[in-house]
Amino acid sequence: MEEIRWGLLIVSYLFLGGMSAGLYFVSALATYLQDGGQPAYPRIARVGAMLAPWPVAIGSFLLIFDLGKWYRFYKLFLHFEWHSPMSIGSWLLVAFTLVSLAYFWAWLPAKVIDSVVSRLPKRLRFLGIVAWPGREGLRRPLAMAGFPLAVGVGIYTGVLLGAVQARPFWNTNLVAQMFLFSALSTGCATLILALSLHRDDLEEREARLLYSIDIVLILLELFIVIPYIVHGALSPLAVRQALALILGGPYTFAFWALFLTLGLLVPLALELYEMKPVLLEKASLHPNRVLAGATAALVIIGGFVLRYVFVYAGQVSSFQ
Amino acid sequence: MSKAITRRTFMNGAATAAAAAALAPQLGCARFLKSKPAAAVETREVATACEVCPNKCAVVAVVEGGRIRKLNPNPASPKSRGMLCARGNAAVKAVYDPDRVKQPLIRAGARGEGKWRTATWDEAWDFAAKHLTEIKEKHGPEAVIWSSTEGFQEEFFKNLGLAYGSPNILRHPTLCLASVNLAYSMTFGTVPSFDLLNADFVIMSGANRFESIITPDTMDLIDSTMNRKARLVYLDPRFTVTASKADEWYPIRPGTDMAFILALLNVIIGEARYDKEFVAAACHGFEELRAHVQRFTPEWAAGETEIPAANIRRIAHEFADAAPRALYYAGRRSSWYSNDFQMRRAQAILNAIVGSWDREGGVVPNSKIALGEYLYLPWDEPTAPRIDEMEERFPLAAKGDGVFLQARENVLAGKPYPVKGWMVYKQDPMSALPDRGRTQKMLEQMDFVAVIDTQMSDTAWFADVVFPESTYLERTDPLHMLPGIWPVVAIRQQVVAPIHDTKPNLEIVQGLATRLGLSDYFDYTIEQWLEEQAKELPIPNALEHLKRTGVYTAQGAPFYGSTRKPDHRFLTRSGKIELFSERLAEAGHDPLPAYTPPVQPPPGAFRLILGRKATHTHANSTNNVWLAEFAPSNDLWLNPVAADRLGVANGDLVEVRSDVGSVRLKARVTEEIRPDCVFMLHGFGKKSRTMRLAYNVGACDADVLVTAMDAVSGNAAFHETFVRVAKVGEAANA
Amino acid sequence: MRKELAARLGVRPKRHALVIDSRKCINCKACVVACKAENDVPLGRFRNRINEETRGEFPKLLASFEPEQCHHCASASCVRVCPTGASWQRRDGLVLVDTDDCIGCGYCIIACPYNARFFNEETRVVDKCTMCVHRVDAGQPPACVETCPTKVRVFGDLEAPDGRLRELLSTRRYVVKSPQTGNDPHIFYLL
Repeated sequence: MEEIRWGLLIVSYLFLGGMSAGLYFVSALATYLQDGGQPAYPRIARVGAMLAPWPVAIGSFLLIFDLGKWYRFYKLFLHFEWHSPMSIGSWLLVAFTLVSLAYFWAWLPAKVIDSVVSRLPKRLRFLGIVAWPGREGLRRPLAMAGFPLAVGVGIYTGVLLGAVQARPFWNTNLVAQMFLFSALSTGCATLILALSLHRDDLEEREARLLYSIDIVLILLELFIVIPYIVHGALSPLAVRQALALILGGPYTFAFWALFLTLGLLVPLALELYEMKPVLLEKASLHPNRVLAGATAALVIIGGFVLRYVFVYAGQVSSFQ
Repeated sequence: MSKAITRRTFMNGAATAAAAAALAPQLGCARFLKSKPAAAVETREVATACEVCPNKCAVVAVVEGGRIRKLNPNPASPKSRGMLCARGNAAVKAVYDPDRVKQPLIRAGARGEGKWRTATWDEAWDFAAKHLTEIKEKHGPEAVIWSSTEGFQEEFFKNLGLAYGSPNILRHPTLCLASVNLAYSMTFGTVPSFDLLNADFVIMSGANRFESIITPDTMDLIDSTMNRKARLVYLDPRFTVTASKADEWYPIRPGTDMAFILALLNVIIGEARYDKEFVAAACHGFEELRAHVQRFTPEWAAGETEIPAANIRRIAHEFADAAPRALYYAGRRSSWYSNDFQMRRAQAILNAIVGSWDREGGVVPNSKIALGEYLYLPWDEPTAPRIDEMEERFPLAAKGDGVFLQARENVLAGKPYPVKGWMVYKQDPMSALPDRGRTQKMLEQMDFVAVIDTQMSDTAWFADVVFPESTYLERTDPLHMLPGIWPVVAIRQQVVAPIHDTKPNLEIVQGLATRLGLSDYFDYTIEQWLEEQAKELPIPNALEHLKRTGVYTAQGAPFYGSTRKPDHRFLTRSGKIELFSERLAEAGHDPLPAYTPPVQPPPGAFRLILGRKATHTHANSTNNVWLAEFAPSNDLWLNPVAADRLGVANGDLVEVRSDVGSVRLKARVTEEIRPDCVFMLHGFGKKSRTMRLAYNVGACDADVLVTAMDAVSGNAAFHETFVRVAKVGEAANA
Repeated sequence: MRKELAARLGVRPKRHALVIDSRKCINCKACVVACKAENDVPLGRFRNRINEETRGEFPKLLASFEPEQCHHCASASCVRVCPTGASWQRRDGLVLVDTDDCIGCGYCIIACPYNARFFNEETRVVDKCTMCVHRVDAGQPPACVETCPTKVRVFGDLEAPDGRLRELLSTRRYVVKSPQTGNDPHIFYLL
């Protein structure tokens, strides 16, 4: 019997890795877009940069912990097996983590560094050099450099699954894109959530940027998910049997109710509702902190459920 | 032959590295050459014979660093044809089973309570000898039963009983194959083998060879049916693995096989399709047979067996056409019904008249290889009559084996004389006899019970002293000759020294003999015994040859036809093959098989039938951790039609109740059994708490089986039990 | 091209494979226990198995038994996905796991269409049928092949021109399991 080898640790890693990729992506975009020589959305950029390294760092620990021999994880970096999505992904992950840590450093507010350094014993005060003001100039280059890495991390988690011929639930050419757009959307939603919890209110233009990005991403996800199901239902028997896992099988509720409805359609509707003034009346929107937070939370949960359904149902599906 | 063994150096690290280097072009990668040189571990191989079941397959044990690493088949034996079954492979786990009896034990609490104290061998021997002497003085030596199951060392145990003076030597045949052996003996004067390798048409009643493995029959039957397109007709109330491979499977009404055979005889004789020459030359009583079978038409048989008459007729034609390469397979465990002897007689008669006797593809008398005999001091024959009253009740049955169930019933009744002691070797009567309650009563009735066994069987659980025997891999046994179409002499030599404080049976017997004043009869070593046996073999240094290769085989191709010479005299009263048997008539039995329809279960009840599974041997393997992976418990097979009627779903807990007891186990609802039958696998539901994998697991069939016997041979009849089944729990809660 | 070069040099590459005649299989589990004993397979785990199927309604019934283990595919997906190269294939076709390099990520277990691999809780790395490579290299058949009472499995060199495998596959119809995955499995089931 097909047993579940990759469990919640892997699901969590995929979710957290995607979240970091998305956070970096939106933050980098916010850095890249300039308004008079300065980042156009500095708060989004900064919050994103502060948050980006940590989900993937936690996820990486979960990943290492899931290994049969966790202390052998370094062997991943003694080899580069170009035909193995996991090998490519490991290298991508390391590169992305390093760049996102550099990006974090570049955006770290000076007063935060000062307050930490001032509490250190005298002989460690030299660490204050970390607050080197030239960091600011690195923000945009790092954003641009990390961009492809973030996209890479978002995509490869899908390729990891999609490249496995043995699992008909996974083996379509849409899985990589599905995971990428979900990752970016989750990251975007995390930013919305973070800002909705910030003591300062969400600015109208910040909300407009983030909602627009997320609406586009959710629509893209729908453009992937719907063909995935429709085409799958018209595919050879093994694929149809795999799809049955979410069309009446044990993962049906999770997929349709938790992911598709609560994780995609409801947030889409809420975001469109929030954006109604902008879209229909060409007026400005009034971001509602609670609504923003709730919407974001649903997207984030939906992102987790998507990975849960895919990782589990995929392992159950087979050609035999 | 020696090549087969000496080539086996695969565990030797140096050889592996050398081979790896030589094969470097094949390996294609430096990776494999970075061989970790195997630590220099002492490895040796020892040829021996398996003892998990009675087949005695040739085995090569691989020992690494003093521990048995693996058991491999020995291709040198034509009997086991270079194979080793699941149980043979799993025997490693039996040797290292933590639940084994590791030293002599003496009962410390009530019988069956399970309280033991460890003892030295001297203590245990003294204890047993004291009781045996007491009983002999007070009640006579006949008051001790000596019961055992076949094995290379059984003779020593039997001899001790005889030397002690007891006539009550009881063996296992009347729990197994006494009826089929007697039936063929009375017909052909000998018990033959069946040349399945070369047969073209085989009919089998039960004898589920693809689950109940007999070597080489199992392998030969696959070979002939799959490689050579021999035809197999198989009758069984259960859809067994054999049924799944047979050309024709009939779920025959239980107990009616004789009707089927009589109808075959009717057609083959009535249409003159039998071997007239052979019948005239070698058979006695044909005219009586002809008259006898006239009324057993296929139409009549169809009513009895539920097999269509047209099929019976066609099978008769095909069977006769295929002769002499046609055989009706006798089977081995013939402990089914109380008419089993007569049913097997009918088989034998059928085999005889189609002329397949002693020909290739037919029924062949066994060839033998002569072994020497160690001449030990003979003792006086016991004078007392047997407890099972064989002379009066079963005069035709084999004297040396006794009639087990009659013995038990008589012991319980205290007639014709009281029995106070029971010595048991390599046997588990608590599991093997029907109606476990009565066996337990018999044990509880004893003043003294001693068991010699490798594990704490249920019988040992109720003993006063347990003598732990070394397993077959830890001891050297006498040579054993396996007669057959391809006869073989097997050696069993010690592979590893006993890992616990256990001894081989001979030494256990000698320890008892010394204290009983009988040591003169057992003043030899196993080596001396072997030397004498090997002397008769026609090759120089026979014993060396056997130790090196594991077997000695007769040279050349199998020999057919030795009994077909014109002046051959069969070992029967008439000197011919007895279709009609005056001896039977004189003993008050039917001289020709007469048919009475079997009693049917009362409405709503089921007949309980038994059978085998390839991953277990009787009741002795259910504690083996590797075998338990496949069948950790038994369950009750129940046809869906019957299950619906009872409201039982697959996995529900059911109670099975007969006239003598009841058990509970899970139901397995399956199409693979007749609606009027139920089945459960033997060997579970143990009472011995030390058998941790089998203690209280599943159910013990012996708890519900009623006591019934075949009238002529005294063989137990295990398929005469009717049971009622009722649901007692849901699958989820069970 | 490699084959031509090899032919010119007089070196014939081997390709080890299994031919299985399932009709002969009686589901006795000898092969499963022999493998377990030979390769220290942990309890509850199996390097090989018998796929059982029973169909029908009494008394029209059918049962079939099909032995299965790693197919040592020519285009093994397990080798392809391994991130450390621990899962690798010998030139004679045997797919093996280098237990020094395996990190236990489990990707190969999931990538196998035949559920041939499992995580060995005792050694903490991935485990599967090795075709008893240690025996093969010493000139002996794998344990499952040797022990089988009914000689269901035939093991040998597919490339040997007079070999038993060539003979069987040239004269009998056969199938492989799940060919659509593209793994090119090398267990051939005679029909």
